[in-house]
Amino acid sequence: MQKRNNYTEIEDFLADDSFQLWILSKVDEQGWEEWTLENLERAKLVEDARLLLLAMKVPNSKLTSNDVHEALKETWLKIEQRELVSLNTLKIKKQKIQRYWISGIAAAILVGIFSTWFFKSNMLPQDNVVTYKELVEEDNEGLVEQTNNTEKSQIVTLSDGSSVLLQPNSKLSYPKIFTGNERKVYLSGEGFFEISKNPKKPFFVYANEIVTRVVGTSFRIKAFPDQQNVEVLVRTGKVRVKSNDLVGSDKGEEIVLLPNQALRFARKELVFSKITNITEDPILVNSVRNIEQLSFEFTDIPVSQILETIEQAYVVEIDYPKDKLKECRLTTSLSDQPLAEKLKIICKSIGGDTNYEMNGNQIVITTSGCN
Amino acid sequence: MLDDFILWNNLKNGDERSFSLLFEKYYRDLINYGNSLCPFAEKVQDCIQDVFADIWLYRNSLQDNVIVKAYLLSSVRKRIARLHERDHVFRKTTTTDVLEFLFDFSIENNLVEDEITAERVLHLNKLLNDLPGRQKEALYLRYHQGLSVDQIADLLDVNYQSANNLLHRGLLSLRKEWKGSIPLLILISSGVL
Repeated sequence: MQKRNNYTEIEDFLADDSFQLWILSKVDEQGWEEWTLENLERAKLVEDARLLLLAMKVPNSKLTSNDVHEALKETWLKIEQRELVSLNTLKIKKQKIQRYWISGIAAAILVGIFSTWFFKSNMLPQDNVVTYKELVEEDNEGLVEQTNNTEKSQIVTLSDGSSVLLQPNSKLSYPKIFTGNERKVYLSGEGFFEISKNPKKPFFVYANEIVTRVVGTSFRIKAFPDQQNVEVLVRTGKVRVKSNDLVGSDKGEEIVLLPNQALRFARKELVFSKITNITEDPILVNSVRNIEQLSFEFTDIPVSQILETIEQAYVVEIDYPKDKLKECRLTTSLSDQPLAEKLKIICKSIGGDTNYEMNGNQIVITTSGCN
Repeated sequence: MLDDFILWNNLKNGDERSFSLLFEKYYRDLINYGNSLCPFAEKVQDCIQDVFADIWLYRNSLQDNVIVKAYLLSSVRKRIARLHERDHVFRKTTTTDVLEFLFDFSIENNLVEDEITAERVLHLNKLLNDLPGRQKEALYLRYHQGLSVDQIADLLDVNYQSANNLLHRGLLSLRKEWKGSIPLLILISSGVL
């Protein structure tokens, strides 16, 4: 504390943390009071510095430590998303390089040197990794593919009325119409599934190395090609998951998941781990989407509000005659229903000639009002 | 509290915990500073989170021996400046391409105990708030964020002398007026002292 004996300017005091602490918090650890009184010139300076400090208050941050924590969580999420994007672009670059490789090898074959084993050993998927592309190619049902390259979720409605909320950087392949006694779709990335009930026709989602089997339920699958884990999280109903036969190490292990349970499949080790309390898993907690948080249990709620909830959950726009439905209220339970089913139930409950039409993420409801 | 240098180095080596600790340590200061440069709280939050995201994603190219706080404040300022250039909302409100320091200093009312002090503090506060934005910003960075003159010069993108002038001129003009208008009253025996 010899330093302060050389203070000659107000600035010196202002910049001294312990001085600030003394003035603003009245914590005098360094004996400022006594020191000040030793010398009149000094006291004058101190008083000026004090007044200045008192006049220089800045708004205090009202952030609680919880706010800070939330912000930190959001930042990690941002990082994760950006990492994903850069990984994807990296992949594209790699693929381009691989393409050159292929032409090089093809040339080599033409000249007649080195046989195909080199090509095969280089190009076959490594280890046990099963890719979306392979899966889709193996299916010969004539699939349609929906790719979501936007930054928002997209809704996909399947021929059986099931709906899939497809997240950015994800794609889904599915048959235009489900035939036979199975319903099979293929996912790369993340999607939230709401499957219409049909015990006679079980529904299968193939995603990377795992197969998820349900009869009617809602659940989320996250299976990005460049991530180490595949995740399945169940919201309603019962879901069975096992590894794809293509993986080879098929021990016939099948995991059954109930609502609010999840599992994580480590792709390298081919190991399942079941998560019975998803609220204790930080990764899962962080990735909960709108649709999983919103409640679809409505008791005497204005129709406009119900439609708004649907807009938020499915990232769709609903156009409806606001004035005609102004007085309408509904009590209904729409959880566990695919989007199409939800809309059908709402229209039916409003009654009369109410109908809906859906085109991409645009939904139009026509009605002459409720009964 | 771990030393910033250590945390910074750990972060560079991919330690998530050090990243989180630094975030928690400086987030409030950064929000405070950001809000003084941009009136839209949400954008400020976004900018700060982006600054941290950048730090993590480009951690391999970060420099050693950085004064973390000064680095963060400066990054936030740059980020907001970029936003400011891009955003039309700002263009309507300001004509210069320089960020405007928006805070008004207020008064530590609960520490003012007598009327004479109250009067003087009020007067001083008014003088302070009449200073040009850049001088106010320099004062804020020096005395509230505890940056050195060097660091302020860096942050405001001026040389050392100019930064010093900003700080000094601010207080000097203040003192002149203040001394001129109010008789010196040194009440050592009363008030706080």
